Amino acid sequence: MTDANVKNNENAIVRVRDLHKSFGKVDVLKGIDCDIAKGEKVVIIGPSGSGKSTFLRCLNLLEQPTKGEVWFGENILTPIDPYMHPQIIRLSKVYKNLLKKSKVETPDLSEEVIDGAVIKIIKEDNLLEKEKSGAFKKAIKRLYAEKIMNVNLARQKVGMVFQHFNLFNNLTVMENLTLAPVKLKLKTKAEAEERARTLLKRIGLEEKANVYPSTLSGGQKQRIAIVRSLAMDPDVMLFDEPTSALDPEMVGEVLELMKDLASDGMTMVVVTHEMGFAKEVASRVIFVDEGKIKEEADPKEFFNNPKDERLKEFLSKVL
Amino acid sequence: MFDLFYKCFIEADRYNMYLEGLLNTVIIAIGACLLGVIIGVIVTCIRIVPKTNIFVKILDKIAQLYVTIIRGTPVVLQLFISYFVLLVSIKFVADGLIVAIVTFGINSGAYMAEILRGGILAVDSGQMEAGRSLGLTWFQTFSKIILPQALKSAIPTMFNEFITLIKETSVAGYVGIKELTKVQSFVTIQTMEIFMPLIIIAVMYLIIVLGLQYIQKRIERRLTKGDRR
Ligand SMILES: Nc1ncnc2c1ncn2[C@@H]1O[C@H](COP(=O)(O)OP(=O)(O)OP(=O)(O)O)[C@@H](O)[C@H]1O
Ligand SMILES: [Mg+2]
Repeated sequence: MTDANVKNNENAIVRVRDLHKSFGKVDVLKGIDCDIAKGEKVVIIGPSGSGKSTFLRCLNLLEQPTKGEVWFGENILTPIDPYMHPQIIRLSKVYKNLLKKSKVETPDLSEEVIDGAVIKIIKEDNLLEKEKSGAFKKAIKRLYAEKIMNVNLARQKVGMVFQHFNLFNNLTVMENLTLAPVKLKLKTKAEAEERARTLLKRIGLEEKANVYPSTLSGGQKQRIAIVRSLAMDPDVMLFDEPTSALDPEMVGEVLELMKDLASDGMTMVVVTHEMGFAKEVASRVIFVDEGKIKEEADPKEFFNNPKDERLKEFLSKVL
Repeated sequence: MFDLFYKCFIEADRYNMYLEGLLNTVIIAIGACLLGVIIGVIVTCIRIVPKTNIFVKILDKIAQLYVTIIRGTPVVLQLFISYFVLLVSIKFVADGLIVAIVTFGINSGAYMAEILRGGILAVDSGQMEAGRSLGLTWFQTFSKIILPQALKSAIPTMFNEFITLIKETSVAGYVGIKELTKVQSFVTIQTMEIFMPLIIIAVMYLIIVLGLQYIQKRIERRLTKGDRR
């Protein structure tokens, strides 16, 4: 993936490149590439333990990826992964040596072909691990300095909704909604409360402003968790099984609110087992299995014409 | 019976001895408790901040060692060591009360730290994640969300530690400090009575502890009431 490639996708809010994550010896994510464009509604499905939550949590760096890059707009959240940048690979000694050798061994091939082949070898064999070239290291540093974004700033613009709501137990509903905007000096207290009231009205819970979360039903908690994220005016929202912890009769109200957001144009990434929601709302469905994206397509194609064997098996179980 | 009580408590204004002992016991316990809370907070901070650099890691190891040693040895022994070895050997002729406050403070610091840390660890990790994913820093989330919830569960237990401390200070008499339990020996010398002064002292401890337990109950009730406000 060239740097030009990283840049050319103008509409992408989130770009994920060769994302890996291991916990100790367990490799959970094994190389995920994914672009999420503005306004897209991406639904992620997959068997339990396949790495869906881990993937989502890597997007806002609740988990630190072991390898690969996560970009947020024009900025990078992870360290630079040199393997993702051919122009940096070309500065390495390994590259220069291999290039020289290849030119001698295969003089009839064009420079371009040799370059491609050498870069491929370097990537596949992880040959940059011991690279010491000063120019190479400097280039990494320079790119990083130019592109780095403070994770806390990025998180202000990436909302996250959890399976277990995670409302702040020691704060009232109103305080839950206003804490972050006020603490982070994005709004005055009065502005934040005004916005919070508007949001609470939108979900019909304005009379709950001064109660504590422990008095709310699951569905109410989750809807408030969603508007707590909304109060930050995020560019994209991540949902990790937002209805899985709810009693069946409360699933509907939460899905309604999510559909509402979707039709407002919110960019959403949703991990869910609600296939109906995926069919109705998704612009793209992704099947994650064994730490990889095994299939991705628009919902019609995805559900009517699955190609991956594991996906077929999975769909036959859940549909 | 009453004659005996009169002899051991009222005759020759002996109650003054008890009151002096009681005062010393209370001073030691409160001083040690304050010191313990300060140490406990510092140790807890060291132990729970994200271990991002080697300096914090080393401090963490030291804090761990401190907690292990203090909790793994009897407090009487700690008192002897600080009284005889540390303070006498460095020729620091300190007031016995200060030695006791420092020793019991260092001792209860380890217990306070464990109580606080337990309270913090008991807060659901989702609370920190929710704060962080809104863009709040670790410290902002910790101080606004985690700590208030941790204190709610830790304060009654810390108060318990204070009650224990009041009783534990009775060993300070071993190094000649005139705390409440030690009063018995002075009274016995004057009156040749052993049993009555012991009973009087026991009753005094009991009254204090019961009073404190009553206060603790009220604190606990107030803290949990917040949940249902
Ligand atoms: N903090 C962690 N430490 C160690 N292992 C972890 C950690 N988090 C996740 N895992 C492991 O990573 C694997 C993937 O977990 P993940 O939660 O991403 O799966 P999932 O697809 O979200 O599954 P589910 O549908 O059950 O939520 C699991 O085997 C899990 O045990
Ligand atoms: Mg999950």
